[in-house]
Amino acid sequence: MSEAVLSPDPRSVGGGRAIAGRPRYASTVSDSGASNSAADTVARAAEAYEDLAGLAETVEDEWQYVTDLVDAYLPSIRALAGADPGRALSGEAVAAVDEAIAEIALITDPHKAIDWLSTFPHLVGLALGGDVDRTSRATDGAGGEPDAADFDTTEPDDDSPFRMLRGGR
Amino acid sequence: MRFQDAAKDARAVVYAGIQADPLVARAATLLERATTAERLLARAAMNGERTDPETWRRIFPTLFGEGATEGLRGHAEQILVASLEVAERGEAARSQYRGAIVEELTARLLASRAGPAEPVKRERRVLFDGVRAEIHPYDVTLESAARPEVYDCKWGARGINADVLNQLDDARAHGADEDVDLRVAIVVFDARRSCDLRLDRSTANHDHTRLVALEALDELKEARL
Repeated sequence: MSEAVLSPDPRSVGGGRAIAGRPRYASTVSDSGASNSAADTVARAAEAYEDLAGLAETVEDEWQYVTDLVDAYLPSIRALAGADPGRALSGEAVAAVDEAIAEIALITDPHKAIDWLSTFPHLVGLALGGDVDRTSRATDGAGGEPDAADFDTTEPDDDSPFRMLRGGR
Repeated sequence: MRFQDAAKDARAVVYAGIQADPLVARAATLLERATTAERLLARAAMNGERTDPETWRRIFPTLFGEGATEGLRGHAEQILVASLEVAERGEAARSQYRGAIVEELTARLLASRAGPAEPVKRERRVLFDGVRAEIHPYDVTLESAARPEVYDCKWGARGINADVLNQLDDARAHGADEDVDLRVAIVVFDARRSCDLRLDRSTANHDHTRLVALEALDELKEARL
């Protein structure tokens, strides 16, 4: 199975962007030793999301919307680490998140970046078996702390509307 | 109140060519029977930077990974292929294709529940007594004599703006003035939460305008507004 991991070298992928001197996660590499813990994977996704927001907010007319998106989704992404952030994720899940990170790192058009501020959290949530809507409500204090069962990709929750997002019809 | 075909200006003629492209019909047919995850795949891949399918298969392990059933994987693969064909049209054309696909999908979902006397049409204006006609036509209409419906379709939540919301609400209000129960809705191929954020900031009246976001598209075929 291939596994997408980090590349700290911005030159490794053409056309990507580097923001605030951060390394970009724009390539799919094998065996670089990226952590597959939930906490580390989610942290990479959150950092990439912040970078994307930095590009998107250059569209001045949409600054408020960009801010609203980030305020809503960034805590939701972080909450995907769940109650057991040290747990190891499957290789498939880690690869999916890192590949999605690589995809948004290639975006240079700030208007497209705004589109992806909406799309990316759902890709990460889908890959990790969590709900970027539900988990954010938990962190907002409306639904309590998410528990590990919310993020168990091996046990679909039949009552969850997110079951459909994971592939159910 | 009555419906009328929109005038064909140059933009409409060019756009009609895109609407008639078989790729639009194929994508809409696939998305009509898609899961939310598959629709999310379409949204991502049509708007992606990379067009190699293996990248997208890795991003969506629930559709293409070890746990996916043969049937799900096969259908998702067709959606991926169609989505990447849209992406391959280039940045300028793909936005028009995406819009046309959302409109076609909306029309198909509505048609699945429309009765024989309730034609589903595209690019239609709505005329009211004593009211100047809106310039922009509605993307999709369900032209029931008793309970007509009009829809504006958007690829992303950013498409939700005051002009669109005001036009929809004005139509509803003018319909009410004529004792017509005109239902108005905006269909957005984007996450509900992102749409809600957009609507929350809007000062345009949208209390009676229904939002149908990506996760709930199937509601279009299951129940009237």
